[in-house]
Amino acid sequence: MSLIDSLRYRLRVLVRPRAHERELDEEIRFHLSLEAMQREHRARGSLSTADAGWAARRRFGNLTTTKEEARQMAGLGFFDQAEQDVRFALRSFRRAPGFTAVAVLTLAVGIGANTAIFSAVNAMLLRPLPFREPERLMKVSMVVPARGDQPVRTDMPWSYPKFDAFRRAQTVFEDVTLWMEYQVTVRVGTDAERAYHEQVDSRYLPTLGLRTALGRNFGRDEDTAPGGPRVAILSDAFWQRRFNADPAALGRTVDIEGKPFTVVGVLPPGFRGLSGRAELLIPVLSQPAEFINEAWSHSYELIGRMKPGVTPEAAKAAVQQLGAIVDRAYPHPEVKNERWGAMGRELDRTRVDPMIRRSLLVLSGAVGLVLLIACANVANLFLVRAAARQREIAVRLAVGAGRRRLVRQLLTESIVLALLGGVASVAVAWWGVKILSALNPAASLRLQQVGGIGAVSFESIELDAVAFAFAAAVTFAIGLLFGLVPALQATRPSLTGALKSDGDRSPLSRVRGLTSRNVLAIVEIALAVVLLAGSGLMLRSLGKLLGVHPGFDASNTLTMRFNLIDVGRDSLPGFYDQLLARLEAIPGVTSVALTDCPPLNGGCNGTVMLQRDRPAAAPGTEPSIGVHWVTPNWFSTMRVPLTRGRSFTRADRLGVQKVVVVSESAARAYWPGQDPVGRPVSVGQGGFWQDTAYVVGVVGDVRFGTLDSLPKPDVYLSYYQSPRGRMMMFVRTSGDPEAIAPAVRREVAAMAPGVPLYDVRTMRTRVADAMSYARFSAVLLAAFATVALLLAALGTYGVVSYGVSQRTKEIGIRVALGASRRSVLRLIVGQGIGLAALGGVLGIGGALATTGVLRSLLFGVAPSDPATLVAIVAVLVVSVIVASWIPARRAASVHPSEALRG
Amino acid sequence: MAKGSDPSRSELLKGTLDMLILQTLSVQPLHGYAIAQQIELLSEAILTVEQGSLYPALERLQKRGWVTSKWGESPTGRKARYYTITAAGRRQLGEEISDFDRVLFAINRVMRRA
Repeated sequence: MSLIDSLRYRLRVLVRPRAHERELDEEIRFHLSLEAMQREHRARGSLSTADAGWAARRRFGNLTTTKEEARQMAGLGFFDQAEQDVRFALRSFRRAPGFTAVAVLTLAVGIGANTAIFSAVNAMLLRPLPFREPERLMKVSMVVPARGDQPVRTDMPWSYPKFDAFRRAQTVFEDVTLWMEYQVTVRVGTDAERAYHEQVDSRYLPTLGLRTALGRNFGRDEDTAPGGPRVAILSDAFWQRRFNADPAALGRTVDIEGKPFTVVGVLPPGFRGLSGRAELLIPVLSQPAEFINEAWSHSYELIGRMKPGVTPEAAKAAVQQLGAIVDRAYPHPEVKNERWGAMGRELDRTRVDPMIRRSLLVLSGAVGLVLLIACANVANLFLVRAAARQREIAVRLAVGAGRRRLVRQLLTESIVLALLGGVASVAVAWWGVKILSALNPAASLRLQQVGGIGAVSFESIELDAVAFAFAAAVTFAIGLLFGLVPALQATRPSLTGALKSDGDRSPLSRVRGLTSRNVLAIVEIALAVVLLAGSGLMLRSLGKLLGVHPGFDASNTLTMRFNLIDVGRDSLPGFYDQLLARLEAIPGVTSVALTDCPPLNGGCNGTVMLQRDRPAAAPGTEPSIGVHWVTPNWFSTMRVPLTRGRSFTRADRLGVQKVVVVSESAARAYWPGQDPVGRPVSVGQGGFWQDTAYVVGVVGDVRFGTLDSLPKPDVYLSYYQSPRGRMMMFVRTSGDPEAIAPAVRREVAAMAPGVPLYDVRTMRTRVADAMSYARFSAVLLAAFATVALLLAALGTYGVVSYGVSQRTKEIGIRVALGASRRSVLRLIVGQGIGLAALGGVLGIGGALATTGVLRSLLFGVAPSDPATLVAIVAVLVVSVIVASWIPARRAASVHPSEALRG
Repeated sequence: MAKGSDPSRSELLKGTLDMLILQTLSVQPLHGYAIAQQIELLSEAILTVEQGSLYPALERLQKRGWVTSKWGESPTGRKARYYTITAAGRRQLGEEISDFDRVLFAINRVMRRA
């Protein structure tokens, strides 16, 4: 009971202090007037009103003290003192602009960088997914057991019949849906563009908890049977762009891959499907039956919403059993004991590719270290400041200032400084976030096989309320922590020493010792070394990656994709002839070739290859091989070396003996120590399965996956023998590849009007993009390490500089006794090197302990790489020498008489 | 509570002032001046409250939640702040009374024996 009343009172005072003061005054006035009245009454006329008033006041006691005490009791004094402290702090900062600038800048960089990285971590790893009750959503994938050289796959998509079987048998999900992402040509009116779309069912939006902003969702009609109604839901961005946000867009038609679809709805803004980039949604069952009913065409992702009350563990267990049921319904047609399964994973766990998660965490750690160093620097600055004010503080303590009051004042100073740094850090954070979301290294990665949900990406990073709260919390913690320790130390009640002389103790004690300043500097150096080690390793890794030869010549080559829909399979070879002829006629073009899938794509089509002159391996154990379609001159255009036999020619056409070209890895894998030329094979795609084809040549390995993985065996088929409408064009030019892009577009438009050319990039850009993530991480880490080194150098400079100012007398004596300038320099720089040595040893120990974390992100470099460590030590020594040089010079130029006078 | 005569007594008195105020308020709500008058009256002028120490003491009691205050009308129709003891205040008063009695008893015994 007393608590409520007490709180109510305190709140009243807190919220309306001025009113409380006024009331107190009024009350005392009332008291005085009553007392005066009484005296006047009792005196019966012998006392005038004025005199009575004075008597009352005398009786009351000291008015001012009473009011002061009452206000103190009420707690009002707190605000006055706080205001006083803040004003004093600001004044003292204005008087020391150098100190203030360095401290604020240091804090701004430290806190700002942390806020930016935190925003990234928040957006990508922490923020709840933008769906209803996202923790109830689960992604269910098929599990394919290990076969041949392929490991177990736990993220296999579903086929429609298997999905249907799952859906019928399951009982733990209240809603189950599927989706697939695909890029298609979309035509509205006459304008065609390439766009991503998702094929989904009617439960997709309800499972996620979303509704269309306009129009309707897909319904029962769209979910009945294959070949169903062709309807589409547009994304808000697409609707704005192509229909000018016109509500009458509902009912209009869009052309998807040549087929008309009616618009029935528009999605809310900000949602682009689980892929994060869909422009349209169409029903899965709008596709023809032969695609849908194919039980072994695995293309769809399955999402389920757990029933209320079902735990994730129970759902996962149920999913495992359901996997067995589905497998029994659809046993593998060839491999008898291959048992497929199913596995559930919380959708939230799959939100980001593990590699991205790992590097984000590494970056968080790195930037945290930078903050620690920044704090150490600021703490050092405060210690120095406090030491300089030792006399002032001692006097104030001796005169009677309460220790608590003094500590509070010092604390206020550090909090104000931290606040200034915090405000400045907002600018740094804002800028950092802009850079991070613009860099978006993952964008180019998503063309390759990277896990995660597109809805969570670098583009979604922004400086939001949470980031601000984080920055504020860090700022306050820093202010408190790094103000408290120096404040407590400085106000220790041993006044006599400080009051006696000008503050310096005898030259023998504590000058070379492990003062807290020195310890801080050593710690800073150690942390900087750890960061340098990490960034050094990443940079070397990047260097190794850059040194990898991808197997082809990436210079002066322009690439672009297009799909022909209207040209029949038999007319394609003629089309290729014409197209290549026209393009090669463009001035500046050296040669043009086509392929279905470019190098460094993260992976292309894979299949199996059988050797026809050997007994067939058991089905399911054949090694997989990459399969690529090329035009005959692709190898020469890309400068892929031909090591045996011959390449394709135009003579290898449909109706003639089928031929293939294999890569060196394939030759080594399938025909170790033998000549593959002339051998018969069958390839599982492109119509090469039933017939026998013969190997005619062997070419060098090309990396179709990533730069940091070994090339896999590849087999090449000629477009002329296995025509396809999807192609990627490679144009080698004598000059700048981008310059001939318009000419190429013109020629293609002339031959295939209305076919959009997309993904136009030079080959060099492609290679760079393939390394974009490694580059991004390495660059960021290097930036942090540089900042850390600068801060540590600054800290060393500060400590050494302070040491010089403390030892001025000693140096003066040395010089007077005959010490040379050089020996003084050596003395001071020696102090710096001493710090560096201790810090370096500590740092290298820390680096060896922690860089194991980077192992999965490194390429070609071990986490304990000695060359890197040696380089870092060298950098450290140089920095420390430079940082100690300036104070050393100052020390060396000390005139002994000045110093001794001191 | 004579003004400023004995410094050692002022420490003892801070606690007893609170007790006296609570006791006075336990009878009826009063405003500040009335509290001072009452204490003087009842103690037959032996205890004169240093009027200046009354108000800080009242703030302290409010902070502890033993007393609440509200502005009201005095019998003469003027605005005055009336203080009321709370249930917690009464409990505190009981404790303080028994503490005080114990101390008094102990002092008595020492004085008799010595």
